[in-house]
Amino acid sequence: MTHRDRSLSVAGLARVEGEGAMHVRVRGGRVADVQLEIYEPPRFFEGFLRGRGHTEVPDITARICGICPVAYQLSACAAIEDACGVTVGGTVADLRRLLYCGEWIQSHALHIYLLHAPDFLGYDGAVEMARDHRWIVERGLAIKKVGNRLMEVIGGRAIHPINVRVGGLHRVPPASELRALIDPLRRALADAVSTVDWVAGFDFPQFEHDHELLALVQPGSYAIESGTPRTDRGLVFAVSDFERHIIEEQVPHSTALHARLAGRGRYLTGPLARYTLSRQWLSPVAREAADRAGLGEQCRNPFRSIVVRAVETVYAIEEALRLIAAYQPPAAPAVPVPARAAVGFGATEAPRGTLFHRYGLAADGTIATARIVPPTSQNQASIEDDLRRFVEGRLELSDHQLTHDCEQAIRNYDPCISCATHFLDLTMLREA
Amino acid sequence: MSVLLRSLGPLVERLRADGYRVMGPTVRDGAIVLAELDSADELPYGWETTTGPGRYRLHRRDDRAAFAHAAGPTSWRSFLHPAKRPLWTADRDLAVTEPQPQPQPRYAFLGVRACDLHAIAVTDRVLGKVDGEYARRRAALFIVAVACTEPGATCFCASAGQGPGLDGAGCDLAMTELADGASVRYVVEVRSAAGGAVLSAIPTEAADAWEVNSAREAVKLAAGRMGRSLPEVDLRELLAGALDHPRWDEVADRCLACANCTMACPTCFCTTVVDSTDLTGDHAERWLRWDSCFDLDYSYLHGGPVRVSTRSRYRQWLTHKLGTWHDQFRESGCVGCGRCITWCPVGIDITEEVAALAAGTQVEG
Amino acid sequence: MGTGPTLAVWKFSSCDGCQLSLLDCEDELLAVAGRVRIAYFLEATRATAGGPYDVSLVEGSVTTPHDVERIHQIRDQSKLLVAIGACATAGGIQALRNFADVEQFRSVVYPSPEYLSTLDTSTPVSAHVEVDLELVGCPIDRRQLLETLGAILAGRRPDLPGHSVCFECKARGTPCLLVAGGVPCLGPVTRAGCGALCPAYGRGCFGCFGPAATLNPPALVARLTELGLSPREVTRVFRTFNAAAPAFAAAAAPEEAEV
Repeated sequence: MTHRDRSLSVAGLARVEGEGAMHVRVRGGRVADVQLEIYEPPRFFEGFLRGRGHTEVPDITARICGICPVAYQLSACAAIEDACGVTVGGTVADLRRLLYCGEWIQSHALHIYLLHAPDFLGYDGAVEMARDHRWIVERGLAIKKVGNRLMEVIGGRAIHPINVRVGGLHRVPPASELRALIDPLRRALADAVSTVDWVAGFDFPQFEHDHELLALVQPGSYAIESGTPRTDRGLVFAVSDFERHIIEEQVPHSTALHARLAGRGRYLTGPLARYTLSRQWLSPVAREAADRAGLGEQCRNPFRSIVVRAVETVYAIEEALRLIAAYQPPAAPAVPVPARAAVGFGATEAPRGTLFHRYGLAADGTIATARIVPPTSQNQASIEDDLRRFVEGRLELSDHQLTHDCEQAIRNYDPCISCATHFLDLTMLREA
Repeated sequence: MSVLLRSLGPLVERLRADGYRVMGPTVRDGAIVLAELDSADELPYGWETTTGPGRYRLHRRDDRAAFAHAAGPTSWRSFLHPAKRPLWTADRDLAVTEPQPQPQPRYAFLGVRACDLHAIAVTDRVLGKVDGEYARRRAALFIVAVACTEPGATCFCASAGQGPGLDGAGCDLAMTELADGASVRYVVEVRSAAGGAVLSAIPTEAADAWEVNSAREAVKLAAGRMGRSLPEVDLRELLAGALDHPRWDEVADRCLACANCTMACPTCFCTTVVDSTDLTGDHAERWLRWDSCFDLDYSYLHGGPVRVSTRSRYRQWLTHKLGTWHDQFRESGCVGCGRCITWCPVGIDITEEVAALAAGTQVEG
Repeated sequence: MGTGPTLAVWKFSSCDGCQLSLLDCEDELLAVAGRVRIAYFLEATRATAGGPYDVSLVEGSVTTPHDVERIHQIRDQSKLLVAIGACATAGGIQALRNFADVEQFRSVVYPSPEYLSTLDTSTPVSAHVEVDLELVGCPIDRRQLLETLGAILAGRRPDLPGHSVCFECKARGTPCLLVAGGVPCLGPVTRAGCGALCPAYGRGCFGCFGPAATLNPPALVARLTELGLSPREVTRVFRTFNAAAPAFAAAAAPEEAEV
């Protein structure tokens, strides 16, 4: 059996911002072409945001992704508040961060337990895994549930929360509602630490990427809802400059745009980037867990992103506990955000990576222009590069094994279920 | 024989010590709602309301009166006839279990106005003999009534029922609030043995003649300040003869069919029964839930709902409330609290609708 | 895997949030998995089985020519087809294109719009095939999803009220925002099911559960106008996640509806 000429093709990548596929073409023992094809039908958010009111944007953009709606809501708020010259600080900002912690916890637990771990343990999915490891899956669901409860208390509901508004929140929770989460969060913290130890013991393929890593950095804390974009190779720029540094291009095989750093090329955003750039700001228990897992100063093996996600879950839970302990309900849930003609920029760290928004407002707040750069489109070129190098080093594997491994390699980046997960109907074709 | 209370604190403490959950008015979410009170401090001292069709606003007062407000969005029926409760549960082995007789909530209602006292009496005649759960809650109930001295613009208890005074109304204690600047006093009458026992356990003073008289005068004045009234005709007869009146079409154009009127009404008692099963299929439950004649499913019989149009549903509501209630229960179902007018999002006014029907009938007649 | 009926979960144009609702049933997920055979659910497993399927949950709206073919295939393969969420039941937020020029949208979002294949409209599943049950909401309510699955398994009718959000506000004791605060609220015309969430958080309902079974939008529009909303703002409040639901589309543009 020759493996010198062939093509691997996954026709239905489930959960890549909905729908995608993968194609790898091998010619003469070399990988000739790799395409992560995203064919999720376009929904034209940037198109129909034009003409809407500036206060409508958080609720509308939330609908881009049911897994990380808070990321969209808070990036949108940041951009519009920036345009209007308003800063939301104090306890209301803390509550937003707390809400975001809930999203990190639920999204990471979902990815670790339901989407990614089955790959390492040889199951098709978590339900199949639960037949042999029920208590492990239950542990993951318990962590996930605490994240969702945090989102429900602050946001009203876990999917498309209703409490975020431009200028703050609609309602501030009474302290008693948040205090009721302390015990469940403490239990989740213990479970999350066990999770780090558990996933650190998986077998990881020997593989390292060499992507430039980009994440928001906020000295003093692990950046979530705000920060300054920075790369591990020394590039730093203001959020308001993101369009000068991040260039998006359309490629025929994808309804997601491909991004690269101007004059530098492909790059990676997400947990691996955050860990490398903000490791020093991890909370004590998270840092200890990372050390015990042997993550070191940086992690360049994308397969070990599952460990980084577990460490970030520990961090998000500790951070939630810290914020709840300090919580005193603020006097007002929001500050007024009078509209003005201006352009505003916002960026936050979605579970999958940095999410940039830019809006141009008319004097009455009507949205004139909108631009959204999600993490998955930023990572797409790097994912393709990983696949190319990963396949090239493993041409001796069977089609079956290689396609499975390629799926796993894509899931390393948790391409938003609506940012990516499992492939369906994977086929491998050889060129004659 | 009247006594004087200079503070409601000891009364609330006494009732709580006696094992009652004390429910009363308190400010929440921009309205005066009925909720459990941990202390008398939670009463809406110094607040009043202005009401109108589809409109309700809170305002500060110059004095510290706690009961200077018109009916809020909730009524006492939330506690006697709650929005949902289990009827029974069953398991696969066919063991049917009625809900564990939970420690019965023993409620003490603080601040029941004449309209709502009347509504409780009306509901007694509807549910008292047929709904065991209602009857149990009702039997354990302690009522501190407060005469109304500040009727609102949507109030019409004087023409609909027996307000605003508390003469002859069934309660345990009957109070009238006298507010004067920073001081508030309550002239209290004992109306039951239980009321006497509670009052004798807290410090009181004798009310002097001036105070008793002031209380009486305040109520008398209130009776003349009702914002609305019902036409003085035989409503049962009027409505029975107005089933094809064009006014029903006109009101149907404005009516949202949202059911706010029936949900706010203190005497609406309709329910639906909902069965559920869990995912294992081993456990089933039956729940009783508030329903409304404005719900399309409410009149669902085999093949579809009987009252499809908003016209027919609005007519059903109003005709039952003011007309056929007499046939069913020998009285009117309306107590004149004005909630259906205030809490209708588009401000449909039951008194105006009836007046229009009456006027039309007179013209036709 | 369970021994019960086979379950398939399909995705069309959407955000994945409604199928995530199933994975968000942390306490019930493994019980569900024990009662049904999950035959196709990419968000949960890469193992797939061919049809026919006893129950298909369909998320998302139909926006491409390929979608049209696919929804017919799914219908043919499914005994019971349940449309879940505002996209599948009303076309979703992406149905805003139905009121605009898609060419313009394409060029705003994509530098090379010629690479895209998309229809001019976003339509609900029911516009293409017969739908047996609809779960509304953006997103659907998790309790309603469990109630529906429980009902299907027991062979009974699910408890999915058609009445307004006002029922739920009153049942949970939330003072009416329209009346007590003059806050614009779509509760009186919106289907219950969320538990009257937004009013409890002090904001008016924005209609994410779509039109109630019986409603009178013109009466509410008159009230919203009294509260100071301009015709343009009225159009906006009805044109969100259920913009293409006929009753909301008519309320957003009464003059178009009469044509």
